[in-house]
Amino acid sequence: MSRFFTTGSDSESESSLSGEELVTKPVGGNYGKQPLLLSEDEEDTKRVVRSAKDKRFEELTNLIRTIRNAMKIRDVTKCLEEFELLGKAYGKAKSIVDKEGVPRFYIRILADLEDYLNELWEDKEGKKKMNKNNAKALSTLRQKIRKYNRDFESHITNYKQNPEQSADEDAEKNEEDSEGSSDEDEDDEGVSASTFLKKKSEAPSSESRKFLKKMEDEDEDSEDSEDDEDWDTGSTSSDSDSEEEEGKQTVLASRFLKKAPTTEEDKKAAEKKREDKAKKKHDRKSKRLDEEEEDNEGGEWERVRGGVPLVKEKPKMFAKGTEITHAVVIKKLNEILQARGKKGTDRAAQIELLQLLVQIASENNLGEGVIVKIKFNIIASLYDYNPNLATYMKPEMWQKCLDCINELMDILFANPNIFVGENILEESENLQNADQPLRVRGCILTLVERMDEEFTKIMQNTDPHSQEYVEHLKDEAQVCTIIERVQRYLEEKGTTDEICRVYLRRILHTYYKFDYKAHQRQLTPPEGSSKSEQDQAENEGEDSAVLMERLCKYIYAKDRTDRIRTCAILCHIYHHALHSRWYQARDLMLMSHLQDNIQHADPPVQILYNRTMVQLGICAFRQGLTKDAHNALLDIQSSGRAKELLGQGLLLRSLQERNQEQEKVERRRQVPFHLHINLELLECVYLVSAMLLEIPYMAAHESDARRRMISKQFHHQLRVGERQPLLGPPESMREHVVAASKAMKMGDWKTCHSFIINEKMNGKVWDLFPEADKVRSMLVRKIQEESLRTYLFTYSSVYDSISMETLSDMFELDLPTVHSIISKMIINEELMASLDQPTQTVVMHRTEPTAQQNLALQLAEKLGSLVENNERVFDHKQGTYGGYFRDQKDGYRKNEGYMRRGGYRQQQSQTAY
Amino acid sequence: MASRKEGTGSAATSSSSTTGAAGKGKGKGGSGDSAVKQVQIDGLVVLKIIKHYQEEGQGTEVVQGVLLGLVVEDRLEITNCFPFPQHTEDDADFDEVQYQMEMMRSLRHVNIDHLHVGWYQSTYYGSFVTRALLDSQFSYQHAIEESVVLIYDPIKTAQGSLSLKAYRLTPKLMEVCKEKDFSPEALKKGNITFEHMFEEVPIVIKNSHLINVLMWELEKKAAVADKHELLSLASSHLGKTLQLLMDRVDEMSQDIVKYNTYMRNTSKQQQQKHQYQQRRQQENMQRQSRGEPPLPEEDLSKLFKPHQPPARMDSLLIAGQINTYCQNIKEFTAQNLGKLFMAQALQEYNS
Repeated sequence: MSRFFTTGSDSESESSLSGEELVTKPVGGNYGKQPLLLSEDEEDTKRVVRSAKDKRFEELTNLIRTIRNAMKIRDVTKCLEEFELLGKAYGKAKSIVDKEGVPRFYIRILADLEDYLNELWEDKEGKKKMNKNNAKALSTLRQKIRKYNRDFESHITNYKQNPEQSADEDAEKNEEDSEGSSDEDEDDEGVSASTFLKKKSEAPSSESRKFLKKMEDEDEDSEDSEDDEDWDTGSTSSDSDSEEEEGKQTVLASRFLKKAPTTEEDKKAAEKKREDKAKKKHDRKSKRLDEEEEDNEGGEWERVRGGVPLVKEKPKMFAKGTEITHAVVIKKLNEILQARGKKGTDRAAQIELLQLLVQIASENNLGEGVIVKIKFNIIASLYDYNPNLATYMKPEMWQKCLDCINELMDILFANPNIFVGENILEESENLQNADQPLRVRGCILTLVERMDEEFTKIMQNTDPHSQEYVEHLKDEAQVCTIIERVQRYLEEKGTTDEICRVYLRRILHTYYKFDYKAHQRQLTPPEGSSKSEQDQAENEGEDSAVLMERLCKYIYAKDRTDRIRTCAILCHIYHHALHSRWYQARDLMLMSHLQDNIQHADPPVQILYNRTMVQLGICAFRQGLTKDAHNALLDIQSSGRAKELLGQGLLLRSLQERNQEQEKVERRRQVPFHLHINLELLECVYLVSAMLLEIPYMAAHESDARRRMISKQFHHQLRVGERQPLLGPPESMREHVVAASKAMKMGDWKTCHSFIINEKMNGKVWDLFPEADKVRSMLVRKIQEESLRTYLFTYSSVYDSISMETLSDMFELDLPTVHSIISKMIINEELMASLDQPTQTVVMHRTEPTAQQNLALQLAEKLGSLVENNERVFDHKQGTYGGYFRDQKDGYRKNEGYMRRGGYRQQQSQTAY
Repeated sequence: MASRKEGTGSAATSSSSTTGAAGKGKGKGGSGDSAVKQVQIDGLVVLKIIKHYQEEGQGTEVVQGVLLGLVVEDRLEITNCFPFPQHTEDDADFDEVQYQMEMMRSLRHVNIDHLHVGWYQSTYYGSFVTRALLDSQFSYQHAIEESVVLIYDPIKTAQGSLSLKAYRLTPKLMEVCKEKDFSPEALKKGNITFEHMFEEVPIVIKNSHLINVLMWELEKKAAVADKHELLSLASSHLGKTLQLLMDRVDEMSQDIVKYNTYMRNTSKQQQQKHQYQQRRQQENMQRQSRGEPPLPEEDLSKLFKPHQPPARMDSLLIAGQINTYCQNIKEFTAQNLGKLFMAQALQEYNS
């Protein structure tokens, strides 16, 4: 608001209004301060409209002024130009004009211009005197304006009939002209001077005009204003302000009048309106007072809710004295509901009305049936409040909604004889007959589901790093309790379908939470903990694992829609994986065969699937199953779009590819922040498992030309690391892994260890695991083992024999482990060696071909294919019927097979991977 | 390193002031019918080439320069040279010809042979048989009939024996290049095989007597050279060569496959053509029997556009390159075998 008051001679109104601001601000910003203020778009949009209108009209008036000046100096060419511009500007202002009606000043200029042109046309002598350009322009302009004015005929005739109505305006106009520049018909200089002067004087006045306009608009708004009573108070006070202003600052006012002839009119109208409204308000107030006297309860309720002095008028529900019965209330309800969804309906007011109706109903003891029905409708209209799917509920609405649902649940629980269901027809509803069970149409489950969606939306739209997010997250507990209550309610009364649905809701709110209590209980052996503690723990509710098990099993058994079951399975797997139950999780994943057909599912389910796979991979990693971890994460990580695939953010890259609409849809799919999986952790787990697999593999296949990469991404990181011209100490997680890989390549496990596990990496990654120490110790051991393997692969050619004891010292592994690793390598034919038991040494066989031998083998192979190709050329020349060559070729093939035998080991070991 | 080279150089020159350092190997192309039978190089030129590479060339990068000298009877005497400046992307508008002319003019002022007699180039593991070399040597030989290209192998030189070879294109290849027709038929007609592409010209390094005297004196004064590396097998060299050889074999293979498809396509087309002709003939026969005029002759080459035969020059070059590699490897392994036996003998002697 304050931007309208940057300059101003009207310091008085400014101060008083800024005072206003101080009062109003806190009311508006009660719930959410920064981000939500932005979303209060009504205010914003209106501001835009106002300024747009102003801007357009200003443009028009400016153009008109130049036309008039041009008319005075008989510059018809200029007139023509300006007239064309004017037409364009008018076209631009069309939307505003449609709303406000054709501005008078516009009609006037049209009429005047036509008259003027006719005059000129008639004046033959003058025409002769004119230069060619002007004459031409005159004829075209005349034609044009004739054509143009046809559209405005009625307006113009209207104007011509009673020009006296706008006579004062004309007078003003003249005055303005004379004020702007005393002698207009002279030359351009005068004009420019006048504009200059005008500009000067315009600044403050336009300011005030804007301000006034705004206030007027506000008045209009407030007539059908939503729930912000503060605006009303604002406008009333501004009324008085502006009136005062008018009274006091006549000079300014007159100037203002001159500058904006339209506002004059508007203002008149507005003043009238204001008067009317004041009257009305007065009436309403008195009425309301009456009402308040009538029902104290309502008043009380109002006071609790707002805490602000209420100035807002309340619609009158029923005529005084009507007896309030079911029929009347229902009729009224239907009346209100009929307005629902219509364009002009004020949704906020509708909610108010419904709330009022509830009060009335409860006051008059119309029974729970009616109340339940109305409550249903209140919640529904709360959801309806936002016409747009993308926008989310305001916090106060959200709170209201939660309260309402809670109340509704209270009623339903308190009155088991109420039947609620969407299949109950409107006609078969029983709202009043207390003898029979009450039947109300409506579905509590749908409401709750919608509530849950709204909650997700709120979370999606809140900045996850703000305090506000935490505040919102606190509501999660409430949401959970509501879902739990609905669940209990439906378990008694609902159909299996409904139960499945509500179970899924429950699951969706449970699966991603790590159950610390169960975890604690697992850690402390049952006999160690005292009895009382156990009791306490039990009182706090069942293990989430048990809960998940129960809910999911029910869904597996009863569900008939595939989607719910799929979601349930995925959540179940996720939950298992989160709690390190790797085998259960894996088995469930494999049994469900989800991997085969997940690509046919809808995107949210696919996102859930991706999340589950990732969680599964992380779980495998925690268990030390590097290969499984790598496989599970491969798909997500190799695409390089992990963020997008997990629904944790949109990629900038594809911004050009998708249009606005798609982006909105995608944005709606995003997972709220508190469900996010740490991407750095994910990448680190992936890279470390890739390192543990790839480095020994690379060492084993150093000289193999057909070596394949296990992990492309890991290689990419390695290459990036190599390309660095200057190698400083590692900073990021990736650099750490790359540095560790380099150390591991040399079999230097200690350096590798220090790169993988240190303060920085602990803070970034490892401490995020629930059992960080266990993971770390597992990791150390893995590093030792794989380093040993790498060492043996890399340096076996250097040794004739090596003592296992030395190895065990080098890698700080105990002898049996070293023994088992080496044995495994020998069995897999990865290491050409044998174990000498008595001396505990590994004796190398040296069957490994040297680099040159390897190359020679490769060369032989290549030459083989070359010869084959060459022979084909020869065949061609000879024709294919030479049996002699066939035989030879076969013989050659045999030879080749023999030659390849040297390389058979490589092939085999390759298939082993 | 430079001292060792000098040593070998001087050894070669000292034994007799004119010794064929590269007389062996294949000069089979027969230099009988070409203008130059012998190349005589000044020690100065050799040193200048070596120095040029040492200063500017590394790894796979090659250095090039211009040879100056004159022809005496059937002997080409190379008495001086100067390097081409290293190219950088910045000065794309650098005029090489201008530079050469300028350089030669300047050399003439100081009374040095200014006749252009060829060019030199360094090589990486003997991989010099390329299209670029062929093209530029062709243009040289086209302009100056006696010109040669000197190939200097720094890696072999670093191992202890100066490797400097002079090559010329054979007259056959010159003719084919002049025609610019590298189709299989043309090559067949020209009777060109990879062995007959280049001819090697024997090289003689000649120094003035004064220099020879100086060398003698220096050798007397010099401390015993470090000869340990003589027995080194330098197996990485072999590996590298093998690797390069393998790459070429791959290329060769691809080339053959290409040629193969071409052959298949042509024969298929031939068949189609044949069938078409037969059909046409039959039809004409029928028409004749019915008394109608025969169908007009159509242009068969328009209907069946002959396939573009693949240029064979590249495969020839590759074959030539493979040949060079094989020679290198053969030479290298022969030497190494000798070394191995020597080492064995030494070991036995010691123990």
